[in-house]
Parts: sequence; C-alpha cells; structure tokens
Amino acid sequence: MRISKFAIPEIIFGRGSIVHLASCAKRVGARRVLFVSDSGLAKAGWVDRIQEILRDNGLEWVYFDAVNSNPRDHQIHEGADIYVRERADVIIAVGGGSPMDAAKGIGTIVGNGGSISDYEGANRIMRPLPPMIFLPTTAGSSSDISQFCIITDVARQVKMSIISRSLVPNVSIIDPLVLLTKSEELIISSAVDAFAHAVESYLSLLSSPFTEHQALKAIRLIAHNIRPALENRSIEALENLSIASTCAGMSFSNAGLGIGHSLAHSLGGMFDVLHGLVHPILLPPVMRFNLAVSVDKLANIGRILCGPRMCSNEYLAQAGIAWLEHFFADLRVPVRLRDILPDSSCLETIAKAAVNDACTLTNPRPASWESLLGVCQEAW
Amino acid sequence: MPGKGPSLEDLIGIEHSKLGFFQELRQTIEALKDANTQSAQRRREIAAILDGITDIMMVLTSDLRILSVNHVFRQTFPDVPRPEGMFCHQIFRGEDVPCPGCPASASFAAGDICRETAIFKIGGKNVQFEMVASPINRPDAPDRHILVFKRDVSREKEYQAKFYQAEKMATIGMLATGVAHEVNNPLTAIFGFAEGLRRRLPALKEKVDPRVMEDVEDYVATILRECRRCQDIVTTLLTFSRQKTVSFSAVSLNAVVNDTLKLLRSHLKQRNQAKITVRVDLSENLPMVHGDEHQIKQVMLNLLVNAMDAITGPGRIIITTYQSSKGAVCLSVEDSGCGVPPENVDKLFEPFFTTKRSGKGIGIGLSTCMSIVKKHQGDITLKSTPGQGATFTVSLPVNPEKTT
Repeated sequence: MRISKFAIPEIIFGRGSIVHLASCAKRVGARRVLFVSDSGLAKAGWVDRIQEILRDNGLEWVYFDAVNSNPRDHQIHEGADIYVRERADVIIAVGGGSPMDAAKGIGTIVGNGGSISDYEGANRIMRPLPPMIFLPTTAGSSSDISQFCIITDVARQVKMSIISRSLVPNVSIIDPLVLLTKSEELIISSAVDAFAHAVESYLSLLSSPFTEHQALKAIRLIAHNIRPALENRSIEALENLSIASTCAGMSFSNAGLGIGHSLAHSLGGMFDVLHGLVHPILLPPVMRFNLAVSVDKLANIGRILCGPRMCSNEYLAQAGIAWLEHFFADLRVPVRLRDILPDSSCLETIAKAAVNDACTLTNPRPASWESLLGVCQEAW
Repeated sequence: MPGKGPSLEDLIGIEHSKLGFFQELRQTIEALKDANTQSAQRRREIAAILDGITDIMMVLTSDLRILSVNHVFRQTFPDVPRPEGMFCHQIFRGEDVPCPGCPASASFAAGDICRETAIFKIGGKNVQFEMVASPINRPDAPDRHILVFKRDVSREKEYQAKFYQAEKMATIGMLATGVAHEVNNPLTAIFGFAEGLRRRLPALKEKVDPRVMEDVEDYVATILRECRRCQDIVTTLLTFSRQKTVSFSAVSLNAVVNDTLKLLRSHLKQRNQAKITVRVDLSENLPMVHGDEHQIKQVMLNLLVNAMDAITGPGRIIITTYQSSKGAVCLSVEDSGCGVPPENVDKLFEPFFTTKRSGKGIGIGLSTCMSIVKKHQGDITLKSTPGQGATFTVSLPVNPEKTT
C-alpha cells in the first residue's frame, strides 16, 4: 500500500457553535478581521448575526462581499488589496464554496504576493497564509475542510485548481442551524456536490482506509437524509447532511477526486454554471467510465444505495448507478448536458481543458481527452 | 500557468504541511536579536562619546521640562537625584518662570541654534555658562525637543578680563608716559624761567612801583605753584601707568585716595550734568597696609568711576578710610546713585557682568578690583538699597599672612 497522508483542520461541530467564531479568531490573533461573505447570506440575516458576534467580542472587521459564485481572479486581488490596506489580520469566511475559496485566494496573495494564477497546481504556495476561520453554510463544497481552492481565470476561461496544505483553514466551525435558511435548490445542489465528492474520492487512486470510511459514511448519510431535509427542513436531517459534507470533505481533501470534477471545472470556467448542477448530469456516466477498474468499490456504493443484495459486484455497481439516475431525476434537476449548455460544439474544448485538471490525475481509470469527450457525449 | 501538471505524489504531498509562521518568526527573532545587539553596541559607543563631553547636556521639551541629562549634569547637581520632569529654570535658578533671554525658548521659537552667556549660582558659587541651544528635529514626532549644552566658562572669562585690563592699563600707561614726557619738557622750562624770575625779583624791587611789584611777585608764585601741581599730576600719572612687576610695600590708603582724586578732579568738574559733591573723611592715624600701591590705586579709581557713573543728576560721594573693629584697614566709597538690585548683588564681581549700556563698559572693572583685593588677602563688600545708592567697602589686612 502506498504511503498516505490525512490532514484536516480543527473542526468545531454542533448546533449553535457559531458563537465560538470570535473566540476562535481571537485565539489565532485577531483584532481586525477580513470578513468574506456573499449577498445571499446577508439576505438571510447571517451576516448581521456574525457582525453582532464580532462586535460583542470587541473585534473590528472589514466586510468584503464582492464575490459571486465561481470567484474570479480579479476579485481575489481586490480582496487582497483591501486586506493589506485595511491592515486586517485573520480572515473569516462565511458561506458556500465561493466565499471560502475567495478567502483562500486572498490569503494566498496576502502571504505570497504575485498573481493568483502563479499558484495553480499542487504545493506551489511557499509562504504561510494569514490565519483562516471558516463557517460553511451550504454543507456541500467542503472548502472549509479541503486543501483545494478553485478560482476562475477570466482570461483563460478555466477554473484553476490550487492545491496546498496551507489552504486548509485553521478552524472550521460547522453549525447545522445555519442550514435552516437554505433554499430547496441550494440543499439539493450542495448535497449532490458533497455526494460527488464522496463517490469520486472513494474511487480515487489515492484513497486510503481513512478516506474511504469517511466517503462511504457521507454517501450513506446523503442518500438517507436528503428527502427529509427537503420535505420538512428536519434539523436532524440537515445536521446529517452537514456531517456528510464534512466527511466527504475529509475524504476528497486527502484522496483527491476524479474526471467528474475535471469536467465540472472546465464547464464552470467556460459557462459559469452552478457547480452543484453539473454533478447529477456527469456522475452516472463518470461512474460507468470507471466501472472497468473500480467494480468492487462501485459495488460497495451500490450496496449502500440499494440495500444488501445477493448478486455479483458487477450487477450491484450497475444497480447503484441506476439508482442514482432515478434519484437525480426525482430531484427534478437537469440530468442532461443539453439542458444546461447551448450546443454540443464546445464539448471538445471542454474535454481538452479537463485533461489538464489536477483531478484527472487521481481518476482510477486513466483518461485521455477523447475518453472525456466520450463521457460528455454520453451525458449530452 | 505551471510548466507541468502535478503528479500523484504532489497530491499526497507527504512533504508539505500547512505552513505556519514559525520559521518566519524564528528568523524575525534572530534578526531582531542581531539588530538589538547592534543597537546596544551603537548605544554604548554613543554613550562613550557623550561621556567624553565635559559640558552639561540636557534635552528639554518645548515647555522647558528636562527629558534627560548627562553625567556632568548629575555631578554638578548631586542633590537633584531625579531631574527628569523638572523645569530647567527650577534647577538652575529656583524660579517658577523661564529666565529672561532663555536660549532654549529662543531656539525653539527660531528653530535654529542660539547661544547665550549667563551667570548662575551653583552650590553657592557663581558660575558663568556659555549655553548653546539647538532644536532636535524629529520629523515623525509632533513635539520638538531642544538640546542644551552649558559650558562652564568662568575661568576663561576671568582670564579674558585680566587680559583686557592689562591691555587697557598698558595702553593708558604708554599714552600717559608719552604725555608726561611731552608735558614735562615745556613744564621744566616754564618752571626754570619762573624760578629765574623769582630770583631776580629782589633786584627789581627798587626799580619798580611797589604795587606792580606785588602783583609780579604774586604772579610768579602762582606760576611756580601751578607748575608744581602740574608736575605732581604728571608724576601721579606715571605711577599709575608704570609697567612694572607687582611689588608689595607699605602703602598709605589716605595717600591713595588723595592721588586718585587728583587724577579725577578735572573729570568730576567736566561732568556736564548737575554737580557731584565729593566729601572725603580720612582717618588720621591709619596704619599702613602691605600692598602694591599702583594696584590699590586702580581699585580706588574703579570704585570712584563706578560711583560717578551710578549718579545721574546732582549727588554726592563720600570717601571714608577707617580701621575696623577687627583691625583691618578699610576704604569705603559711598554714592547716592541708583543702587544695585538684589538679584545683581552677587553677580557684580563676575567678569563681563555689566549694567552699563554697550559702549560704556564691558564689565571687567569690579572683577579686576576683586582679584586685586583677593591678592592682598582682603575683601570687597557691598551694601545697597536700590534707588538710594550703594556703599562699596574695601578691607585690607594690616598684617597679611605670608603667602608662599
């Protein structure tokens, strides 16, 4: 077995744990924090709640919300300028993947200078980042757990993957109560995102016993809790979804992902589609593509999804994929690429861009751009 | 854009951890330690340089509070253990308001270097300080500080005064000797011929009208008398100006008074202001003192000139010689002039201290007097009420102790 490594941030989990945000920030030396968030959270009232917590603890803050979904490189530099100009110290990010990735990008520039595209790839960050404290609000991206940071390079129209242990925040505070204000669409897209993380990292070449266990737990929790969470916003179900997202994050941060995410990144770079909406379309064909080399693992997933059966692994794996397709269709989300893309002429470009993504590397079955194109065509 | 994509090993990243600031902190601490050692070294060097400066140094705030002082200051004021925070004028003058003509204030106002000389009483002794105040410009600080150096120049001033006096006396001496010789020749001729006339008078007696003869005799006697007086004045001048080494002998103070008055008589008459009456009250059987007549005359002359200068308008000067109860021989000069304000009383004898307007004096007279009298183991004292005149009293011992 290959030597593996498992790294995660300090995780504070539980209902109401949001109140520890300020004390955690103070522990890592905060006096004046850069508070990164987005407008959706401000609407839901969480930004005010957090500013209240900061104020009560005597912390100053600079609010930065010039981030939309799929953060752009120029937004990162803007944020880094504000950080330096306002003499901020600790970075607090509250929100989904976008504000958290933006915070990671800002921290990278603040600590290392240069331009954010200089750090694309793995382990290119050579200097420490400011302390970071994340509070995820979507239970999907798991950017608060992972060493990944995805930033859109506007000029090249690609989503850059920046991978470094330094991008793991110091503290991740996960408060399931924050999920109560989520919309149905957001619950689905985050859960599917976490699900895709779990499946791809479970199949990954770098998966280890420590990550596999987390991945399978995430798959089980999401499959069993997404319905109750949607139907009556059951707090237990939402809590289980955020546990699942955290587990999936631990798994993919250390094991990496696969071609599903490579394609999702190149699609997002070109068309700015919501990351969570790509996976219901791509995940079944990607799993089928990997069936040749990962049949046993896919069978394990099938066992979780369809219940234990007395049949071959091959059949179980196929059954699991079929279950997933039904499941996604029931969620009334787009399940075909043609639903979200204007025409199929761009598929080749997307496939060629995805080959270079770091996620392609850990895919269990080696993939050329032609095979990626095949996956896309199957999903069209 | 990276040159080559990451490998699986890169993704595992065994050798990569979340970077903390520890390394940087350690480097910073090292750098700070180095910087600290260097600045300590530099501090020691600067301290050594500062310790080599023998002037009093102070750094003052704009309101003249002391911020820091050097070791000379502490030696000078051993009984002020914590000068920091006190006002400069508190320590140097015991006053609650800044001294007039303060160079620090002037320097602060002008933003430039200011020099000033002033006399301070320190430890019961008058010390003259030459002060240099210069603003310390600190571009990053809103309030400016002033650096003040105070150098003790008492001894230089004393020597300078002696030098001036000696030069003055030498010049007067040269002039007086010249004048005396020039006047002496015609005077000798006049005296000789007048004497000749006086010898021929009996021969003329029979041939001239007795009344005319009486007049002639009177005229000749007057000429001779006035000639003698001229010779006296010339001799006195010569004794004043004689360039000679100090020689102590028996001196009569009464004679000194009379000689000096002879010299000043015309000066007294010439005063275009109202008249000054001079009363002389000399003790009959005054013992002789052991001293240098020429120098004691200088003292007398100085005191008299000062007394005359102090009087504006009509006034009087009383010159008295007497023997004090302690046996010392005293000479006092009392005037009805403007008197001496109490704050100046103990600065009066300092070289270059003067209240006369510029051009009238440079302030070395009384300091010269004092040094002469001290050489005679005597003393000069002063009693004065401002506005009602002053009395300077020179007391000289009759039997001075033999000094080696």
